[in-house]
Amino acid sequence: MKKSSILGLVTIAVAIAVIISLYSSTSTYGTFVDAKNTNGSLHVIGHLDKQKELYYDAAKDANYFSFYMTDKKGNECKVVFSGTKPQDFERSEQIVLVGEMRGNEFHASHIQMKCPSKYTQDKVEVTEASAKKADI
Amino acid sequence: MNTVFKGEHLLPGHLGQIFVIISFGAALLSAISYYFATTNTDKLDKSWLKMGRIAFYLNGASILGIGTCLFYVIYNHYFEYHYAWAYTSRELPVYYIIAGFWNGQEGGFLLWAFWQAVLGLVLIRRAKSWEQPVMTVVSLSQVLLASMLLGIEVFGMRLGSSPFLLLRDAVEGPIFSNPDYLSFIKDGQGMNPLLQNYWMVIHPPVLFLGLASVAIPFAYAIAGLWQKRYKEWVNPAISYSLFGAMILGVGVIMGSLWAYESLNFGGFWAWDPVENASIFPWLTLVAGLHVLIVFKNTGHAYVTATILILLSFILVLYESFLARSGVLGEASVHAFTDLGMFWQLVIFILIFLALSIWVLVARWKELPITKKDEDTYSREFWMFVGAIFLGLSCFHLVLVTSIPVWNAMFGTKLAPPAESVTHYNVVQGSFAVVIALLTGFTQFLKYKKTDVTRFFITTLLYFVFAALITALVVYTTGLYKLRFVFQLVMLTSIYSILVNAKVLSDSFKGKFKLAGSAVAHIGFGLMLVGALIAAGTRKVISVNDKGIGIANFSKAGDERENVMIYKNEPTKMGDYTITYLGDSVSQPNHYYKVNYKRYDKGGKLTEEFLLKPNVQINPQMGLTPSPDTKHYLFHDLYTHITALPPIKEKPATEEAAMHGEQNDDANYDAPITHEVAPGDTIRFREGYMVLKALNKDAKVQNIPIAAGDIAIGAKLEVVAHGKTYEAEPVYMIKKNSAFDFARKIEDVGLKLRFSKVLPEKNKVEITVYQQPESKRPWIVMSALDFPYINFLWSGTIIMVIGFLMSLSRRNKELKTT
Repeated sequence: MKKSSILGLVTIAVAIAVIISLYSSTSTYGTFVDAKNTNGSLHVIGHLDKQKELYYDAAKDANYFSFYMTDKKGNECKVVFSGTKPQDFERSEQIVLVGEMRGNEFHASHIQMKCPSKYTQDKVEVTEASAKKADI
Repeated sequence: MNTVFKGEHLLPGHLGQIFVIISFGAALLSAISYYFATTNTDKLDKSWLKMGRIAFYLNGASILGIGTCLFYVIYNHYFEYHYAWAYTSRELPVYYIIAGFWNGQEGGFLLWAFWQAVLGLVLIRRAKSWEQPVMTVVSLSQVLLASMLLGIEVFGMRLGSSPFLLLRDAVEGPIFSNPDYLSFIKDGQGMNPLLQNYWMVIHPPVLFLGLASVAIPFAYAIAGLWQKRYKEWVNPAISYSLFGAMILGVGVIMGSLWAYESLNFGGFWAWDPVENASIFPWLTLVAGLHVLIVFKNTGHAYVTATILILLSFILVLYESFLARSGVLGEASVHAFTDLGMFWQLVIFILIFLALSIWVLVARWKELPITKKDEDTYSREFWMFVGAIFLGLSCFHLVLVTSIPVWNAMFGTKLAPPAESVTHYNVVQGSFAVVIALLTGFTQFLKYKKTDVTRFFITTLLYFVFAALITALVVYTTGLYKLRFVFQLVMLTSIYSILVNAKVLSDSFKGKFKLAGSAVAHIGFGLMLVGALIAAGTRKVISVNDKGIGIANFSKAGDERENVMIYKNEPTKMGDYTITYLGDSVSQPNHYYKVNYKRYDKGGKLTEEFLLKPNVQINPQMGLTPSPDTKHYLFHDLYTHITALPPIKEKPATEEAAMHGEQNDDANYDAPITHEVAPGDTIRFREGYMVLKALNKDAKVQNIPIAAGDIAIGAKLEVVAHGKTYEAEPVYMIKKNSAFDFARKIEDVGLKLRFSKVLPEKNKVEITVYQQPESKRPWIVMSALDFPYINFLWSGTIIMVIGFLMSLSRRNKELKTT
């Protein structure tokens, strides 16, 4: 067999290995119910329950933050994160968690939040501007 | 509605829009003219060529025109323009106004088009017989870039997005029915605080120059196949690929240095989709460059070389699509949102993809494909293998990064790997092992044919030597705690550095031609070593074992890296004793002074320095922290703020504090009264104080002392945390009523009142208010140690030097041939 064909086969083999490794390591988007039924970690999308307590007390533990999130199916669950409370967490519109269920708590290893940011939304803030009307 | 709006400056916008249209038209004319100049059979007829050049100059000039108009609009704060309003504000200093220029997507395209025009001018001067076909392709790319700025409705579809869009056209709002709306818009929204950094001024221009320069080897490849000059295009393409790979590499590493120096994700590389996308074209371009050299030397691997070069530019376009189309959605923190150009970006890619496939298919039968097999012990064979692995590494990155694209295309709901950083590290680390190994032993092989026994002996010798060094490095840095694959990366990188150092030393004895590649490979090896040790053995200095805790937390959050420290309370953290000293404000940054002290075993102070991590407070973005780093030669100490108490806009003045006396007391624990005589000591939680003396003519600001009034001050010396403070609370009898004026020592969280005089006991009463811990100023910070990170940065510089050396060699060869 020619060396170039051997190399071709090796290349294809590695490519397939890459695809398989990707397939086995991709996570899935799920709900809290799914999280209860699976062992590994997964992504859960939802939004913050603003009625319930956001707990972060740096004096007691600077690495413990907990809150309640409602997933897309409407189920609510307590979420625990080992770290500080992300800035402006209260204003988040959507949260993506990566983590797993431990008992009745969802332990997030990663939190990503989407904020209504001025950098993505065009809203002219008239209130601020009109306060200065006097100097026209 | 024909409202006449007051105070708008429409001229620069109209002028700019005219330039936008001219730049598009001129690029189109240039592409068509160059096309006919290429296909024209009459060699003496230069009219098409002339027209192509003039049109290209016109395109370049109008790009400058667009830039000037846009700058004029931004510089003069004409907030009637959406671009100026959205990305700048009045308080931005001039250099950020320049950066504001490429803050938006339109500015990015403009910068890209500008560099491509500059490179086009270089080609017009240097390309000689290649000018017509190469410039046809470059102009075509210029047409598509210009179309991104058009902002015109064509057949109901908006084509491009103009930087001169008016605010009232971009944004809906009742305010715009007022002809005088501009007087309400006093300021722009300003730049994203994360971008207000000097890197924002220099990083984008370098990166876009890199992206633009990938188009040149692509244009040569298309031109070579189109004009059936199959072998000739390779030489100039090698030069331009070297240039492109160098600039693009620098641009990417600059981005990573930026992230490390001033963003808050705690590292230099996060495998974010947009970051990954920026190295797609670099990987294929470097691979293509190597295979081009293989082809040049042996005539093998023509198709692979061509495909890699073509693919690099396609990946540049794909990168732009990923970052700008909004397809990444929640997968990336720094993707742009869709400006409605999703399909335009897709068409951009498809045009160049179709062009690439078409030239390959149309010319397939004529391509110089060799049927002869390559020699196993030849350098070119292993260079080729290395290039294939670079390509595979890129394939993996594209595959994983594009998960949101697959979801959009096939309607699947895959999520990126949960432990995505580990996933990328392990897979890309495995590719790095193979690639570093190949950059090593391939150097011992000769082009075409090698003495086999000698090759094995030298290879093995160097390998043993590298293994010894690696064992030492792995042991001292603690790399052995990591997965085995990372130790292999270390081994092969060190091996590659050693071998290439040998090649470099040989090159001084005569084979100077190889010096460039040796230097570049040494740089690459050092980058791998630096990145590996810094990321792999990153240590958390601020380990926090206090707290309610969560036992066995899932891996990522296991480090407990945040510590809370109170103001002026020295805290032990690793080898250091840290003290939060206070803050200073330089709008819009709040700096938090953290003092680091290190003692030797005998308790002697060996080192002391101050770090000032800062936080930007932005009404729309909230708080954005930015780290501060103490750089040592062999490691970096990186500190950043992770949580803060709510920041008061203005500290209460003394008067205000007096008025709100009742409220103010609520900020303290229940007061404790002490009856003391001069010389007595009062103890409190944080230290002690001594009543030094009583001052019979104490003064209180703004309160005149009339005859018969009495004002006594209690001179107190307060010692806390090794510091001494003075305070003098005052007791006053004015018109037969008693008053007292408390004094505060904010640093210690104390309020002291001189509350009574007890003449019968010859004592006075001092009331001590102490702030509860929770009311004391505090910060939560995290401190990380990045060992040997300077190898990463210095490796980059060395690699650039290597690229420059190779570039000068290839350019000399170009001139002689």
